Amino acid sequence: MAPTATANESPAPVDADFSMNDAADFDQPIERDENDPANRGWLQGAHSIKTLPGSSETAASFQFVKEDHTLGNALRYIIMKNPDVEFCGYSIPHPSEELMNIRIQTYEGTALDALEKGLSDLIALCDEVSAKYVGAREAFQSQVAAV
Amino acid sequence: MDYDPMAMDTEAEGPSVKISDASAHHVNFELSSVDLAFANTIRRVIMAEVPTMAIDLVEVEANTSVLADEFISHRLGLIPLNSKNVDDVAYSRDCDQCDNYCEQCSVTLTLHARCTGDEIMKVYARDLVVDSQRPNNWVGNPVITDPDGLGTVIAKLRKGQELRLKCIAKKGIAKEHAKWAPVSAVGFEYDPHNKLKHIDLWFEKDAAEEWPPSKYASWEDPPQEGEAFDYDAVPEKFYFEVESVGNLDPDAIIQQGIKVVQEKLAAVIKDLTDGGSGGAAADFDGPRSPDMNMNGGAAASGWDQGYTTPFGTAAAGGSSGWGQTGAATPYGATPYGQNGSNGWN
Repeated sequence: MAPTATANESPAPVDADFSMNDAADFDQPIERDENDPANRGWLQGAHSIKTLPGSSETAASFQFVKEDHTLGNALRYIIMKNPDVEFCGYSIPHPSEELMNIRIQTYEGTALDALEKGLSDLIALCDEVSAKYVGAREAFQSQVAAV
Repeated sequence: MDYDPMAMDTEAEGPSVKISDASAHHVNFELSSVDLAFANTIRRVIMAEVPTMAIDLVEVEANTSVLADEFISHRLGLIPLNSKNVDDVAYSRDCDQCDNYCEQCSVTLTLHARCTGDEIMKVYARDLVVDSQRPNNWVGNPVITDPDGLGTVIAKLRKGQELRLKCIAKKGIAKEHAKWAPVSAVGFEYDPHNKLKHIDLWFEKDAAEEWPPSKYASWEDPPQEGEAFDYDAVPEKFYFEVESVGNLDPDAIIQQGIKVVQEKLAAVIKDLTDGGSGGAAADFDGPRSPDMNMNGGAAASGWDQGYTTPFGTAAAGGSSGWGQTGAATPYGATPYGQNGSNGWN
């Protein structure tokens, strides 16, 4: 029976090897979609925040690209301090994806408002600690000078 | 909305800082009335995200030493370089003045050493010559703290051996490579008497006897005999110890660290205000778990493309990333049968 067939059907003959050059496209660069947040390294700036499916006005999950516990935990804490917020939690869904999710549920106002308030509160807290550090530094220096 | 976001529940004054010890290379301070999460943010950001300068590119013109080019390059990268006012330096990758590197985003250091005597010659960090074309007057100077003013040893040369190379120092952060770390150590401790029971101490007979008290133990009241466990207690005082490598002042490291946190937050706020993505569930296109399609709606349409790999194999196009567009491959059909002409029909 003569093989009628496409190469796919018949098992390739043993000598039907091919040279590396014929193995088309192996050397073609693998294209990565740089607009896909999952493909963007943390080196190349630009955050992007998305709400995850299933979010509503008062109960939303936000996904941060290229953020981790550094921002997540502090933000969770400061948002939770807002009395309008019923719940706030964060998670890093997978250790090899640079993604961080924050869940916010509010009693009053939208989840987005609570997030924005959390961000500006945390900036204010940083300002406060920074100012306190400068004050403490001056106090320490004058104390050393006095001795 | 009448509350003070900075106040802990127990104290009304907000955060406070007390410095207990400081020198040119370290600072110990107590940060109190903040949350553990915030203290940890400061620690993490100092450890990995405060920008400094380090040699990142080495052009070797001559190397007749016994050490390989890449071996020396690695050593050069690890030499701490002064990073005072490193904000004056642009990141090379987003420098708009150049394609590769320039005076705005890098500092050039050259090294030319040749051993002519009979004795083994040591090449030190001080032998690096810093180019005067640089963003400011400090940035890129090798950190030299030893009394003889030599700096770290880079290599040893025998008679006739020569080292001639050009180093490009760039700004970076320790998240990318540890050579950009501003600190050799940063950490904090809290609750020296372990009143909160966050630590489970291993012991043979008696934990109190076998574990030496922390140096901060005298700063807090020891637990009273028969004291009941306080379920509402939270850590409040954090004893930080920051140990600089020498490229930045310890004070500058802490201030820069706080600034980096603020810049992160500002970037998020900017994205929320002009990115306009908030609330739009439909534009979410990443891979999801199958059970995540909770309330349906617009999000449901985002699901049907299947899983996309990060390597850009377009499931939609029907051609795999290996480029067999319909043609027969020596291996037959792909195991996933995307070509429409697989072996089974």
